[in-house]
Amino acid sequence: MINLIKKKVFQQIKKAEIKQHELNYLFWECTTRCNLNCLHCGSDCSKNSAFNDMPLNDFLKALDTIKNPSSNFTVVLTGGEPLLRKDIEQCGRAIRQRGMKWSMVSNGHFYTAEKHNTLLNAGMGALTISLDGLEKSHNWLRNNDASFSKVEKAIALAASSKRLNFDVVTCVNKINLSELQSVYDFLLERGVKAWRLFTIIPIGRASENPNLLLADNEFKQLMDFIALKRKGEKMEINFSCEGYVGDYELKVRDSYFFCRAGINIGSILIDGSIMACPNIDRSFSQGNIYQDNFFEIWQTKYHAFRDRSWTKKGECASCADYKDCQGNGFHNWHGTLENVLVCHNKKIQHANNG
Amino acid sequence: MKRNWIRKVMGGLSLTSAMFIFQACYGTPQDFGYDILVEGKVTAKTTGLAIPGIKVVVGDNIQFTLTNEEGYFSFYTISDTQIPIRFQDIDRELNGSFGDKEIIVSAVEDRVYLNVDLQEE
Repeated sequence: MINLIKKKVFQQIKKAEIKQHELNYLFWECTTRCNLNCLHCGSDCSKNSAFNDMPLNDFLKALDTIKNPSSNFTVVLTGGEPLLRKDIEQCGRAIRQRGMKWSMVSNGHFYTAEKHNTLLNAGMGALTISLDGLEKSHNWLRNNDASFSKVEKAIALAASSKRLNFDVVTCVNKINLSELQSVYDFLLERGVKAWRLFTIIPIGRASENPNLLLADNEFKQLMDFIALKRKGEKMEINFSCEGYVGDYELKVRDSYFFCRAGINIGSILIDGSIMACPNIDRSFSQGNIYQDNFFEIWQTKYHAFRDRSWTKKGECASCADYKDCQGNGFHNWHGTLENVLVCHNKKIQHANNG
Repeated sequence: MKRNWIRKVMGGLSLTSAMFIFQACYGTPQDFGYDILVEGKVTAKTTGLAIPGIKVVVGDNIQFTLTNEEGYFSFYTISDTQIPIRFQDIDRELNGSFGDKEIIVSAVEDRVYLNVDLQEE
């Protein structure tokens, strides 16, 4: 009964949030250069990116269009690998000078003690580092034999900070699925307080590698693992907001599924494109900071994100859970947009039906 | 302000205050921590001249910065009722020799400016 009430109230809140569409979270794809060549990369980044890093001042001009930013407004520096930018601290300080917070997603390779110090000095408040298994499986996915040892040090540094809101993310795949308990123990030993797990969707390089994608029963195994671990209190564990998971909602994350792309989450991509999350099909670009006023676009466009009725097609058309799911995570719509790329709930149902 | 009030009430009613604490699938957690911007200038007590290269260390010795050519320093650190900050001459003869100093900062506001003078040795 309580869960039913919670769900009904949640649905009302969700409607209000969509109507209000307050910008809380802005990704800045500040570089597409990357030191790694990961097997699962959705953005096809490389050491020799086709794009130059976006000049800080170009981004700041767009940022300055935001009128009355919310109190929890955060700029999330992403890439590529943001630490390849030599002016990363300068970028962070410029954001803080505007009364905004900033954070960063990193592969941890260059997150040394010196860098940890200078980033804290520059006011970084949150950090996410990727760890994709124990040494062998992590290095396999990261396509780099030195990656694990570097990430291990980075995690220990970040976890030692009282200031940082820090979490580790893991891309779960066929190779590391059986290691999750060991990864859990590894993180716990290093003082990590939050761990987020997600799966890989078949876009970018991942679409060509079957080892990266979980079968239906493997996905359910992942859900069961997260649900079980959440019963303990040693570490905060969540399934990411990548998709609707039916009966596992609230068992694998703190809140009901709500893809906030374009509702509370925006992004400015390397070429100036104005988007929601960076991993969304770039045909959904809403404008470009080099031609448009960023905040005007945020306030007046993003229709496809705020009214998702267009997703009621393909296998979603006749789905009984559509009201709760609304087409799954937005990044699951790619290419022809005729059908959702992955239905997490269906994977669970298939697994349940044997 | 009004919108945040509505959010808090709705969150309480739904027993899911966590719903407003979100992160994008591939993003970072939101930052709800509090910090303080500490900045200032370090000068020599007798001459009043700026001292470059002074190590400014926060509490636990992990976080630090160095003064620049103008003796200026600036960093963000976690907010607390008492933040010990030590000033150490680590290059000795290079920019003159100065004694160490410790100051306790109280994070009353989110920003503090310190004028620090060090005694020549």
